[in-house]
Formats: sequence, C-alpha cells, structure tokens
Amino acid sequence: MIDFYIGLFLATLIVALFTTRLYRLLFWYAFNSLMLGVLALSIGKSIDDNAMIITGIITIVVKAIGIPYILKNLSQKFHFVRQITPEIKVQYAIMLVPAILVFTFYLSEPIVNMIHTNANYVAISISSLFLSLLLMMEHHNVAPKIVGFLSMENSLFLLGITATNGMPMLVELGIFFDLLMAIVVINLLFHKEELKV
Amino acid sequence: MIVYFLSILLLFLVAPLLLSYMKGMKMFLLLKQPISIFQGYRNFSKLLKKETILSEESSAITHYAPFLVLSPLLVVMFFLPPLVKGSYYVSFVDAFTITGLISLSTFFLMLLGLDSGSAFGGMGSSREAFISALVEPAMVLTVFSVSLMAGDLGVGQAGVNLAAHFPKEHMASYLFAGISFFILLLAENGRIPVDNPETHLELTMVHEAMILDLSGVYLAIIETASSVKFVIFASLFASLFLPYGLEYSAPLAMLIFFIKLFFIASVVVLIEVNIAKLRLFKIPNLLGIAIVFAFLSLITFYVLGA
Amino acid sequence: MMLILLLAPAFIMFVLSFSKNRRSKYLLAFTSFVILLPILELFVLPKPYNILASYLVADKLNTYVLLLSSIVGIGVTLALLTLDKHVKVSPNAYRKFYRFFALFWIGLIFSILSNNMGIYWIGLELATLSTVYMIKTNYTPAAHKEAWNYMIVGAIAVSLILFGIILMYASAKPILGEDAMAFNLLVAHAKEIPSPFLFEMGFAITTIGMFVKMGFFPMNLWLANIERASFYPVAALFSGILESAIIVGFFRFSQIAMKINYDHLFIFVFVYTLLTIFIVSFLIFRAKDFMRLFSLSGVEHMALIVMFWVSGAPFAALLHFGAHAFLKPALFLSTGVLESQGKYRIAGALRGYKGKKGTLFWFLVSLFLLAIISLPPSPMFFSELYGFGAMISTAKQGNHILAMIGAILFLLVLLSIIFYRFVAIYQSMKYEGEEKEKVVYTSELIALVLFAVALVSLLLPSTISYLKSIG
Repeated sequence: MIDFYIGLFLATLIVALFTTRLYRLLFWYAFNSLMLGVLALSIGKSIDDNAMIITGIITIVVKAIGIPYILKNLSQKFHFVRQITPEIKVQYAIMLVPAILVFTFYLSEPIVNMIHTNANYVAISISSLFLSLLLMMEHHNVAPKIVGFLSMENSLFLLGITATNGMPMLVELGIFFDLLMAIVVINLLFHKEELKV
Repeated sequence: MIVYFLSILLLFLVAPLLLSYMKGMKMFLLLKQPISIFQGYRNFSKLLKKETILSEESSAITHYAPFLVLSPLLVVMFFLPPLVKGSYYVSFVDAFTITGLISLSTFFLMLLGLDSGSAFGGMGSSREAFISALVEPAMVLTVFSVSLMAGDLGVGQAGVNLAAHFPKEHMASYLFAGISFFILLLAENGRIPVDNPETHLELTMVHEAMILDLSGVYLAIIETASSVKFVIFASLFASLFLPYGLEYSAPLAMLIFFIKLFFIASVVVLIEVNIAKLRLFKIPNLLGIAIVFAFLSLITFYVLGA
Repeated sequence: MMLILLLAPAFIMFVLSFSKNRRSKYLLAFTSFVILLPILELFVLPKPYNILASYLVADKLNTYVLLLSSIVGIGVTLALLTLDKHVKVSPNAYRKFYRFFALFWIGLIFSILSNNMGIYWIGLELATLSTVYMIKTNYTPAAHKEAWNYMIVGAIAVSLILFGIILMYASAKPILGEDAMAFNLLVAHAKEIPSPFLFEMGFAITTIGMFVKMGFFPMNLWLANIERASFYPVAALFSGILESAIIVGFFRFSQIAMKINYDHLFIFVFVYTLLTIFIVSFLIFRAKDFMRLFSLSGVEHMALIVMFWVSGAPFAALLHFGAHAFLKPALFLSTGVLESQGKYRIAGALRGYKGKKGTLFWFLVSLFLLAIISLPPSPMFFSELYGFGAMISTAKQGNHILAMIGAILFLLVLLSIIFYRFVAIYQSMKYEGEEKEKVVYTSELIALVLFAVALVSLLLPSTISYLKSIG
C-alpha cells in the first residue's frame, strides 16, 4: 500500500508539471501533500513511531489544507495571474520528464543495493526533487515558483520519511517552523505597493 | 469453449447498451429527460431499415471500409482476457497485436473520412490521425508494462495472472499504468476531454466528422464499431486494472464483470459531466501525461521493481 | 547562560526595533559589544564545550568562526547607524531592517555553533528567509525583483543542502541511530558508515547547494545582482556572516567526506572551484561598479578557501577565511560611503576626503583594497603561500605533481588578471575624476578601524598558533 501512496505522490507531481491553471496546480499540490501525510501515517503506524504519526498529522493539516488555502487567499488578494503556461513546451516536457526519471532512477541504483528497507523510495524522492526543480524552472510567474519550492520541501520530507524512517523530532519541527516562516516572508514580499515611502 | 463464445457474444450485445447507458446517465446528471437504455438497439434497427445514400465523389473504399473498421475490432474481442475462470482464452496475443488491430480499424475509419470528399471528412481524419499517433505509443507501453507485472506478455494470460496474484509489490508502477490506460480509454473512444461524441459543431468534431456523410447500414456498422471499441477498452481496463471476481462461479463472475463495465462507464460519465472539452491543441498535453505515465510505469517496474 | 549572552545583542536589537524612538539605535551599537564577552570566555574554556546539551557545541573551529562573525556583526551594527545618511530609507523600513538583521544573526549563531546537521540547516534557512526581507527594505523595483530572486534561488540552494543532509543521515543511521545528525560522532565513525555511496551523494548534493549559495559556478552573478540591488550592509552581512556559516558547514561536512573517500572529494571540489575562479576572474575584469566587483571577488576568495581546505591546508584556509571575513564587509561598508556621493562612479571615488576623518578613511580603504589582492603584509598573502605549498605537498603524495603545478600556474594567471584589475581600479579611484568635498561619519570609521585592528591581529603569533592547532 505504501507503494501505492508513493506512486500517487509522484503522479500528482507529474500532473502538476503539465498544469496550466493556478488553482488546479494548488489542488495538485494539496493532493501531493495529502499523499505525503498519509504515507507518513502509514509508515509511522507500521513501525510504531509516534513522532512520525505526529509529523504526518502536521503535514496534512499544514501542507495539505493550510498552505493551499493561504496561497489561494493570497492569490485573490494580490490578483495573481491565474493562467500559468509552462515555458517548456509540452512536447519537450514529455521527453524531459522521462529522461529525468530514468537518470535519477539509475543514479540511485547503487543505493537500492545498499539499504534494504524502502530502498527505491530514495530514487523516487530524488526524482521528485528534480521534477519540482523543473516545475520552478518552467514557469515565469512567481506563484508556480512558490508551489515548486513547496513541492521541493515535500520531496525532502518524502526522503526524510522513507530513507531514514523519520528524522529527529527537533529537526522536523524546526523544518516546519522554517516553512511557516517562508510563508510569512512570501506574504510580506507581496505587500509591495502598501509600503511605498 | 462455449463460455468463451458466449462471453464474446454477450460483450458484443452489451456494447450498444453500455453507450446508451452512458448517454442516459449523462442526460440524467444534466437534469434532462434521459433516453432509454435500449436506445442503441433501436437506432441500430432503424438505421438498417433506412436507405443508404452515398456521396457522388466516394469511391469503392466507402463500400468496403465500414466492414474493415468493424472486423479488426471483432477480432480483438476474441483476444480479450477471459471473463470467467476456466473458460477458453487466447493467451499469446500481446500488446503490439491488440494495438495494431485497433489502429488498423482507425486507419480504415480515416480512409472512410477522406473518401467522402467533403471538407469535414478530411478534417476529422487529420485530427484522428493526430490523436491516434499520440495514443499508440502510450497504449503499447502501458499494456506491455502491465503484462510484465503479470509475468506474461500475452494479454489474455496477463489478465488471468493478475486475477490470481494481485501485484501488491508493484503497486506504484501498476498505478501509473492504470492512470495512463484510463486517459487512453477516454482519448481513443472520443470521450469528453478529447472529443465530444454528441456535438456536430465543426470546431470540435473528430469522430463524428469522419462519418458525417454515411447513412443507413454503413452508419449502423460504424456506430456498432465505436461501441465495440469502447467495450474492448473497458473490458481491458476491467480485467487488467480491476482484476477481481474471476474466482467465483461462471454466472456470478460474469455478473461482476458487467458490473465493472458499468462502473467504468459511470466514472467516464462523471468525468464527462465535470470537465470541459479541451482545445484540440491542448490534447497533446493530456496524451503527453499518458505517455509519461506509461513510460514511468515501465521504468519504475524495470529499474526499481516498485 | 552562555547561549543567552550570545543571543542577547540580537534579542535586544529585535525588541528595540519595535520602538519608534530614533535614539534607540545608538544603544544597539554598545550592546552589540556584549557578544564579545561570552566568546572570549569560550576561548578560555576547555573545548569541546557543550553550550546546549550536545546540540550546540563550541570547539576550536566554530569558536574562531563565531568570533569573526561577531566582529562583523558589531561592525555592521556600527555602520548601520548612518545608513539613512547615505541612502534613502523610510523610518519604517529602517526598523524592519534592524528586526530582520536580528533574526538573521540569531539564525547564524545557531548555525555556526551547531553540532547537529539539522540545527545547522534550520539556522541557515532562518537566516536565508530573513535576508529576503532585508533585501526588500530597499523600496526599488530592482530590489523587489532581487528579493524574489533570492527567495527562489536561496530556497533551492537551502533545499539542496537539506536533501544532502538527509541522505547523509540515512547513510549513517544504521550505525548511529538518531545521533547520526551529530557532526562529532559522524567524524569519529566515518569509516564505519555502511553505505559510503549514499553519503558521498548526499555530500555532493549538499556541497552543490552550498556552492550555489556562495555564488560558485554556474550561479556566479546572482549574488552580485542581489548585493547591487539591496542596501550596502546586506552585502557586508552576506560576505561576513552568512558565508562564514556556510563555510563552517562545508568544513564540517568535508571533514567527514575526507575520511570516507579523499580522492573523490578532492577531485570534485578542486575542479569545481577551478572552474569557478576561471569564470569569475573574467567577470571581475569586466565589473563596472564597486558592489559587483567586491561581490565577485568574494566568490573568488570563497573558492580559494574551499580549495585550500580540501587540499589539506586547513591553516591556510582558515587564515584566508578570517582575512576575507574582515576585509570584505569593511570594503562593502566603505562602498556605501564611497557611492553615497555620485553613484556607481569608480573614477575619483577616493578623492576629496579632507580632514582627519577623511584622511583616515581613504587610508583605510586603500589599505583594504590592496590587502584583498594579497599584497605582502596582508594575511591573504601568507595564506595563499601556505595554501599553494600545501597543494603541492598533497600532490607529491599522489604522484600528480605535474597536473597540480599546471593547475597552480593556471590559478596564478587567473589571480593576476584579478590583481591587475584591482590595481587599475585603485589608480582610477585615486588619480582620475574631479575632486569634490565628501564626508564620512565617525561610527563608520570606528567600524573600519575595528576591522583593520582585527585584520592585523590575525597575524599575531598567538592567533597563528591557535589556527594551526585547529587543523
């Protein structure tokens, strides 16, 4: 079942790459985070790790519900461009995405031979890191870039959850704190006109 | 052997029913007065009675092509995975054969469109060529990767294997293949994000544009062919991606199978009701996703084994 | 207690930034000196000294770096007093600048002192995010754009660092458990790590993240653009504190990586830095204004420091690093003064400083300018000498002596390009252009003198013996 969630995680990220509307992109991001949270919950349950379960709940609350909601509000408040056409044409993206996937899968093949628990998730999280980088690259507008940054954070969490069975609680809370800080800073950055001297 | 022929016959008979069901369901959801579920049969018998008029420009191709559209699809029906445990099935036909037969049928459909000599026919054919060129690679990759997961290249055998042993350890690549195949199901049958089967608006038509000049028996045959095509795709989806219920006794298994078909039809209807049709030049985006997922499924299976 | 004292100046700054009183900033200039007390105590205490359990540990390396960055922090606080005299800044933005400077400082103190990869990263991310807002306090469209730029690229770089950290953690978790985040344990158990490939991949990703953040190839110009668009103290903070924290991280990670596979580390980093210096030297040659010039030269020096460190000359790297950490903020702060009259003009920038203060100012600036291109009395001269010597002795062991001599010659050619450019700029500043009356304020001079004194004290025998004991 973990395979299933992780597959959905990657699938939503790939669909997000081809999205041309902002709200749809936010929806895929929320779905992506939800899958991450569910993954954390199910792994945490199977290895009986309370820290991981807490992480999963925080992920679902903050990333799957909170952040998309805040971003949607921000986009209404500051009138974002909602039609976001990727700079990379679809025909190239179709070639690029599988190329990235093959590259990262083969890159991490030695790892698969080294760690035995959840080994190939490392490969998937590395490829989702690259895909979120691609998401940031292929858009000109700020809002999809933010979503790209956030899904990068998600792929980091995926790696943290699957490769290491959870990082120390202190570090994870710190990462969440920084994520919230990032949202605050993003919010502040949008206040452009109001503060003019 | 009897069960084998019986199931093919049943599938053939249920095909118009399925399309009428989808149409009726859609009308119901749009708060219209729904058509009867047997409308497909009525249309068929009505068309048989009608006079067949051919365009003056059309050549002999128009006389042969409708049969050549239907017959490869009928052949494919014989290669589908079994509906019931213990029934006979053709085990050795692989992804390439099925895709090839379906594209053969599409090829004659396009010829038919071109042959009518009208502007619409040519336009429809070129659009169909555009879509099916994108569908085929994804279709081959998807069916191929599912057959790999099932451990047998034959599609029929793959269906049986999947029912016996659900690929839990390959859930990720199985999921990708499922997403890809579902998009193909929508695209190849001209359902809404790709083509709207109900309009006759020149900007949006694909499938209808090709058969606009047909009438009478030929139209009946082409309509049957398109319903058979949907049944082929739906039953492939049902036996490859929802591989449950094969172990029950014959009537029950068959019932479960048809419930699955109607379930898939309902999902398609829900998607049709909720999603607007894509612009023609946005269709590569959707099919691109299908190709990416098909490829992803294959490499995830090969490299990661997940 | 130690931690509270260390964080006190930043906290006071944070709290006072909310007060509307314009006098309160003068208080900060004095309170910021408080940070020197605990640091001096740290030098005396036996090391490693646990400041906060095993999370924050002071050892010889990070005490030194903490001292450097605190002196820079004090200098910047002093120079900030007259920010409104040189650039146009609204009182509101001015207070916000202080507030986010405080956050930045707190983040980096954690980052520098951390003995835990996770805490190191959290501090770095906090600092990155607060810098974004510091850039934005300059209300120009360019600054706004560059703030976004910094947000995006900085976030990518920081995420890459975290990604690498997780991979390294995963590689060491089987033997160390949850303690696999601690630097000291990782160094001690580096040889036993069961999956070196995983560790090396994590290290490579982290290193690339750090290099992107320091402006190495291929992101050479982004820092320069950002520093150009923002207020000048931001540039000073970047080069003095942020890069210190990053370089400390690099030192720590590479200490582990050296034990795992020295050859891989050496080749990877050496080629990367050589490429960076190659590109940067030509970019410097074409630089048209002070900010970009100094910023690019900062990239060059960071590359040299990294190069010396991996070539097995920690002493050279640390000395160079110390000298750079003092020189670059000093130069950036004086850029603020130089550019306040007649923006962007290099020709004649140093002329027209009259009186005692003015003379002292131009003397100090010339001193810094000539020191940054490693003319002999500068600590940089000695560190480069040591560094190149160490490179050759490393190559001798590995039988790559010819390749190494070739690389060093190549490097010297590139450095001489930079040298030539700086001398040309200095001459243009001193002897070209028209003479105009210009002013310099006492607080800035105090900051510059502080940097100069710190720079000279790097050459004291006791400092050198301390640095030699670190490696």
